[in-house]
Amino acid sequence: MSNYSKQELQAVILARDLKDGEMGAAGAAAAIPMAAILLARQMQAPNLMIAGEMFVNPNPTQIWPSMLDDRALGACEAAETFLELFGHSHRGLDFFFHNGLQIDARGNINLHYVGGSLHAPKMRGPGAANISYAGTSKRFYICPTVHSKRNFVERVDFITSPGFLDGPESFAKSGLKGGPSLCVTPLAVLDFDASTLRMRLKSVHEGISVDQVVDNTGFDLVIPTDVPVTAPPTNQELRLLREKVDTKGYLRDL
Amino acid sequence: MTERRNKQINESDVDAWMRAHLDDGDLLAIGGLFKQGRPTALVREVIRAQRKALDVVSSPGSGFDVDLLIAAGCVATTYCPAVTLEDRMCPAFRGAVETGQIRAHCVDALSVVGGYLASANGVPFQPVVAWKGSDVPKNNPLVAMITCPFSGEDLFATRAIQPKVALIHAQEGDRFGNLRHLSTMTYADQLIARASNYVIASVDRIVSPEDILARPRETSIPGIYVDAVVELPYGAHPSGSFPNYSIDEHFIENYATLAEAARKGDSAGLEGYLSKTVTGCGTLAEYIDQIGQESLNALEAEAQSL
Repeated sequence: MSNYSKQELQAVILARDLKDGEMGAAGAAAAIPMAAILLARQMQAPNLMIAGEMFVNPNPTQIWPSMLDDRALGACEAAETFLELFGHSHRGLDFFFHNGLQIDARGNINLHYVGGSLHAPKMRGPGAANISYAGTSKRFYICPTVHSKRNFVERVDFITSPGFLDGPESFAKSGLKGGPSLCVTPLAVLDFDASTLRMRLKSVHEGISVDQVVDNTGFDLVIPTDVPVTAPPTNQELRLLREKVDTKGYLRDL
Repeated sequence: MTERRNKQINESDVDAWMRAHLDDGDLLAIGGLFKQGRPTALVREVIRAQRKALDVVSSPGSGFDVDLLIAAGCVATTYCPAVTLEDRMCPAFRGAVETGQIRAHCVDALSVVGGYLASANGVPFQPVVAWKGSDVPKNNPLVAMITCPFSGEDLFATRAIQPKVALIHAQEGDRFGNLRHLSTMTYADQLIARASNYVIASVDRIVSPEDILARPRETSIPGIYVDAVVELPYGAHPSGSFPNYSIDEHFIENYATLAEAARKGDSAGLEGYLSKTVTGCGTLAEYIDQIGQESLNALEAEAQSL
């Protein structure tokens, strides 16, 4: 029995990967990504800049279910408007985050529909507010709160936000430059095999087996011969997360 | 000598204003984002005016109020990038798209914001470079490919969006229609106001013209873009109107549960909800009675504690 929640672990893993001096953003329903950014600022990255679609460096005192309203953004270094979407989009970011109804073997994200077609869908999803960072940013993270065969599929039904498309050839042809770097789920950390650009198991979380990850993934993962256990949160990481970032324990209760 | 025109209208005049300016099938724009700054009381007026087959557009993120309009049968088409309650899906939106009752166009933030920008500036489209790899621009009816007249490069164009009527909520305004957001985030409200043919704004509080003149940099939307302003305290509820009152997550959750039951075939709860809080509430006072002043006090306290 661990002394941290799955969501806390996801935030800690993502925080470790963010570098000092970078600029990034998180979108809607972004409790885990925003916690990761704020934790990284408490640790190795005091100069990490947050440039959302219309705000710079928010300073929330707790984590909220939504991070795009004044509860989280009321205190920030600059309150802009959606006009800045164009400026921020064309300059690009170092990183941003995605979740999806479907996530596929090449990190493509689908938020629009599953089954049927766009205008006659079996299941209609929410759509996506902003997809413009995909084409202009250096990397993105995928951080779903569920890891199952239903959301981890071989190929998404619709590409809302592009990952590595259909592999190296189509990705090169598209003119895209960034792409997904890590996928951090409640079960494991995954990255992408350099030659095939397919998702590869990087580490499994404490108490999770490789077989469990395989059984919950709807496509063939690249599995290295040696799969380590994800380094659990250190005492310092957990303390800072709970005392400075997620002060009301939102990620613990999820 | 004639007086300067007073744009302030009474709550009882909103229905007539709405019927005079918004017809069936018109493009309606809604300000705010997700659960903040949504002109929800004005949205309920649209429902009570029984407008049908509306096309709906908003800032890039919508939720409760667009779902309510759909549940009430007012909508034919949406041009809303994301329609979600964030921690759960919008039930009426999802159900109406899946059964073919509405058409939900596949648009994204740049095409909507770019569309308002073009309309506000009186040009037919806004050039966009930042779409690659996604299926969204291929299916987006607002988007076409163009050639740059200077470099010859291919790029996207997104069509101007000119709503017939825009509904906006601000915390303060004066009788000449000058609006002042006290909230930190104003989202696309300024652009929507400039892009639309007619703008009606609800404000939590009417202030004097002298008060507006004393702090002109804080006027977020000048009265030249506003056709009518109405004082409707709590007019954004259940969305938040910071720093006055926070988001009523419980109220939204309760609606979503009833709307989800309706999507699965049991619409009694949703119909009761609509008649209780929308069609059966002709005035804001009746609405506040339904909500209960105590829960509104708690939302005010939460907003003040931030």
